[in-house]
Amino acid sequence: MLWGAVEMRLISKKVGVGLTALSFSIGGFAVFGSGPATGATSKTSSAGDTITVGTLYASTGAYATSSLPEYAGLKFWAKQVNAQGGMYVAPLKKKEKVKIVSYNDQSDPATATTLYDELLTQDKVNVLVADFGSVLTAPAITIAKDQKHLLFDVTGSGTSFFSSGANPYVVLTSLPVSAVWPKPVAALLTKLKTKRVAILYCQNDFDQAQATAIKGFLAKSGITPVYFQGVPTTQTDYSTLVQAIKATNPDAVLELGYPNNDIAFLNELKDTNLHFKFVLTPFFGQLPSLFAQDVGAKALDYTYTYAVPPTLTINTVNMGLGLTDFVKAFAPGNASSVNFLDVAGYNAGLAVQAAFDHATSMSQLGIRAGISAVSGKLQTLEGTFKVDKTGEQIGELLPVSQAFPSGKSFALKIVYPAIPSQVAMVNATPRYPAPTG
Amino acid sequence: MQLLEYALVNGILFGLFYGFIGIGLNLLFGVMRLVNLAHGDFVVFGGYLAYSLVTVFHVGSLWAIPLSIPLALLLGFVLYQVTVPRLKRSPDTETASLIAFFGVSQVLQAVATMIYGANQITLPSLGGPISIFGQSYPSSVVISASLSVPALGVLYLYLYRTRLGLATRAVMADEQEAIASGVRVRLVATSAFMIGIAFAAAAGTLSVFMLGGINPTSGSALTVTAFTVIIIGSLGNPLGTIVGGLLVGLASSLTQAYATEWTGMIPYALLLAVVLLRPSGLFGRKVRSV
Repeated sequence: MLWGAVEMRLISKKVGVGLTALSFSIGGFAVFGSGPATGATSKTSSAGDTITVGTLYASTGAYATSSLPEYAGLKFWAKQVNAQGGMYVAPLKKKEKVKIVSYNDQSDPATATTLYDELLTQDKVNVLVADFGSVLTAPAITIAKDQKHLLFDVTGSGTSFFSSGANPYVVLTSLPVSAVWPKPVAALLTKLKTKRVAILYCQNDFDQAQATAIKGFLAKSGITPVYFQGVPTTQTDYSTLVQAIKATNPDAVLELGYPNNDIAFLNELKDTNLHFKFVLTPFFGQLPSLFAQDVGAKALDYTYTYAVPPTLTINTVNMGLGLTDFVKAFAPGNASSVNFLDVAGYNAGLAVQAAFDHATSMSQLGIRAGISAVSGKLQTLEGTFKVDKTGEQIGELLPVSQAFPSGKSFALKIVYPAIPSQVAMVNATPRYPAPTG
Repeated sequence: MQLLEYALVNGILFGLFYGFIGIGLNLLFGVMRLVNLAHGDFVVFGGYLAYSLVTVFHVGSLWAIPLSIPLALLLGFVLYQVTVPRLKRSPDTETASLIAFFGVSQVLQAVATMIYGANQITLPSLGGPISIFGQSYPSSVVISASLSVPALGVLYLYLYRTRLGLATRAVMADEQEAIASGVRVRLVATSAFMIGIAFAAAAGTLSVFMLGGINPTSGSALTVTAFTVIIIGSLGNPLGTIVGGLLVGLASSLTQAYATEWTGMIPYALLLAVVLLRPSGLFGRKVRSV
């Protein structure tokens, strides 16, 4: 018997159901392994003998590359604090141990939504620390606001998180909002007298906000991008895209994506021998070892990125370890393995510690008051911790760095400051146009 | 005009690769009515196998393809024995296989994460760019697409020039009639399953080049692409898979060039249009008239 159209339709319907299931899988739908990573979860109240910090991490999926080091940094902070007998909790006038309660969201925002909620309603954690990046932080922003629970947002710098009026329950600990990031890039492009700028961005809060912001900054210098296009965050095939960019004959190309996007984009440039005078990708600076491994050190020469610790070396601190000591303690004998996200996770822990150190009560707003008390005064390995009333980080601004050949590898050097106080950190002159070969 | 030319050539190159990815999935479905939601993960398995051969045993990237095939055939054989006979006994094979292979997909992703970590992996480039009509294309992409053609040719020869291939087509047309005609369906199904997994693994090496790298969860998106390709081209029809692959490749490449923000949507809009206008796929009628 031959297939009939009806049978074919039924099969197509089943395949459709399968594809729907798979779409959950693509997002990292947690079928397995989303239990708390600390074993038995603590249900201490805010006045218990342990301060519980609830967080999520992604062991798989698109954000695992960045999420895991961030989580490692936070765990390192907890270990350090507990080794010193705990952290001081001002309202209780004593030190308390710290316990991290964590779940694996597998890079899926839908799973993250459920797990953030579980951390608050089931585990009753004292404070929340968000997973990496804007995509996985977004669900926590809404939950924190609705449940009036303090959220330490580590790297979720999406502008929309902070633009809808004052929200006392969110504190961005590690990065300025993404719309602020490209300000020094625009200033550098203006200084270099570039006229034709191409911007390719991924369609998510983080990258889209950067793209829109830099377009605005460039407009003030009379520069209109010759190419301004968005692609899905899942994009990894850049073959035709780079040709479309090339066709606009740009002086500078800014590719704003997440690590997998940036790596695929840079590999495409390498494989087609395409050369632009100025190329910037955001995550190269945060994960230089990974980029060197996946793109090749030579292909990264003269690429621009944002300067973050450890490239940005800050040792003058009044809380926690300075960068050099952190690197030694975090990865003894393997300094090159330390990346910005390790630092960011640790820095989030320091922000939590500072909040409890200066909290006026154990209520969520009391802990938030601790943040207000230290804002602008706290010096960590990421610089001056300063937040405004929306929780937006306004202290730790990012200079621009460029990769220079250094033996068989490269060295990231700071070529343009974000703020006047960073001028002393500039240790190289931008090489423009980038040499070929 | 140059951009259009580039987009068309690039679309064909990627289309051949998409066809290569889809063909194994279509073979499994055509012969056994199995909805293999782990197909993309088998492709990624091939990619990781190639990565291991290149980094641990210092084998050339392309040698990883023939070396991975025997391992994939073995994996296919074992997996067939463990899963398929039980699934075939189910009153609803398609639904049961859909759920079972979803589980296989999750297991493969977890194992890949445990062994290789969550980071993106890449393979060394296959050389400098190759010029086609005066424009440069990455050698890895051109070579990968070029290898898809003989691979598809091998499958064609298997299906149309061997006794087992003839039996395979008979089972694809109607299993009961094939049984009545004396076809050893179990042998055909085992062979098809092993070949399907081997094709996926072979495509896996190429996927590392075509996708700019893979990570443990890359397979999920590849499964969706493979299903899109075979549904457009008709479930159970190998020729349709190649045409479906080319259509998806060209649609993706042209939207990248001229309607960038639609890049993620156009292949699926194409799928939707085909399903609504021709529910049996572009080559569906031809299958029924075999």
